[in-house]
Amino acid sequence: MSAVATFLTSTIGRKVLMALTGILLILFLVTHLAANLLILVDAEAYNAYSHALISNPLIYIAEAGLIALFVAHFASGILIYAQGRAARPSSYKDDRWAGGTSKKSFSSSTMILSGAFFLLFVPLHVWGFKFGTYYDAGNGIRDLHRLVVEEFQNPLLVAFYVVGMAILGLHMWHAFGSAFESLGVTQRDTLRRTGNVIAVVLAGGFMIIPLAIFFLGGGQ
Amino acid sequence: MENMTLNLRIWRQASDSDSGELVDYTVRNVSPDMSFLEVLDVVNDDIVKSGNEPVAYDYDCREGICGSCSLVINGVAHGPREATTACQLFMRHFSDGDTITVEPWRAKAFPVVKDLVVDRSAFDRIQAAGGYVSFDTGGACDANEILVPKEAADAAMDAAACIGCGACVAACKNASAELFVGAKVTQFALLPQGQGERDRRVLAMVEQMQEEGFGPCSNEGECQAVCPKEISVAHIQTLHREYTRASMRRIFGAG
Repeated sequence: MSAVATFLTSTIGRKVLMALTGILLILFLVTHLAANLLILVDAEAYNAYSHALISNPLIYIAEAGLIALFVAHFASGILIYAQGRAARPSSYKDDRWAGGTSKKSFSSSTMILSGAFFLLFVPLHVWGFKFGTYYDAGNGIRDLHRLVVEEFQNPLLVAFYVVGMAILGLHMWHAFGSAFESLGVTQRDTLRRTGNVIAVVLAGGFMIIPLAIFFLGGGQ
Repeated sequence: MENMTLNLRIWRQASDSDSGELVDYTVRNVSPDMSFLEVLDVVNDDIVKSGNEPVAYDYDCREGICGSCSLVINGVAHGPREATTACQLFMRHFSDGDTITVEPWRAKAFPVVKDLVVDRSAFDRIQAAGGYVSFDTGGACDANEILVPKEAADAAMDAAACIGCGACVAACKNASAELFVGAKVTQFALLPQGQGERDRRVLAMVEQMQEEGFGPCSNEGECQAVCPKEISVAHIQTLHREYTRASMRRIFGAG
């Protein structure tokens, strides 16, 4: 096996890959949230932003990169989970958390499930918006704002997005600190606190959009 | 404190191929000053008197420094006290009438030999893969011949405090051995004597760790919380840096 393959298939290499793809996905989510908040501020600015994105031919490279990040993150997550299960075939009859300095949490115990949810969420989300109804805002610009506002009149969709973002926050609660620890950063308590803040800000920020549109009517 | 009556639920398993089960034992007149292992000795006395097979469990020094005892007590490796081996766990931390579950370390890489005894030779094989300095050092040189910064010496000593008991593996949902391997790699990576074999050591020890069937690290830190020697998860982070560094040096032809 080549040195590259040895590293990437090692338990540590897989964690490094999962951490790097995870951190890049967090960066994507930060830009995604920042842009989405335009929905609540200015419909024209939001439409102009989304038009600037899709009219740039580089978007295909960016999208391919994003898909690659997701696939690599999912694949390494599933492989790591399977390896962990194989290493611990029998469970304790009396199984308790150690407490003390341990950072084991509901979040850290459900990473594979909260992650797997996005196998369902991401395709539905892309199908609902990117490939949703095309409204023309004039000048060849798509009125994505109108679609978003229309979709979030449906309480079931609002509930799906709010629950989905809660699951994102749950995943992020453990993910951020753990990712940097996998990369060898030792400032554990600072990393964990930062991760918890990022989890709340990202999940809360994304949740505000459907909630604001549903309850307040969604700006202009 | 009065003497206590305790209900022990002890894992009995004839061999690794046997399925095993928890068996209830009542033990009376337990002094609060007894250690957990002494209670098992009393249980075994009763079992032998009734003509049955005593509970097999590992022990050696009973002073908390050998790393032999390996009991999961009430679902936590080495029991409820922090920084304490099972042999140094005293019964004053329990109450009269308590039901206490006792199980062996559970990991694919630590097969059960019998009852509470597991085979931890996987750790020995990881150590044999690189957990040493192999140079012929010659005669004893002056103590200050090789200068070691105080911080490095202290940190290496912290890593070397690991007694190899395996509680980290037992506590980890993935049965990961990264705290153990991290400590063993770090103690040499920090010292001048360890530099010559630095890359080779971490690559070989991690490879052996995987071959033994230990799992990946999920950064929960249950291992640090149960470690009787309070080995920090910072050693896992050091292991990740050392392994990644050595791998990159190998990939780019510098190693």
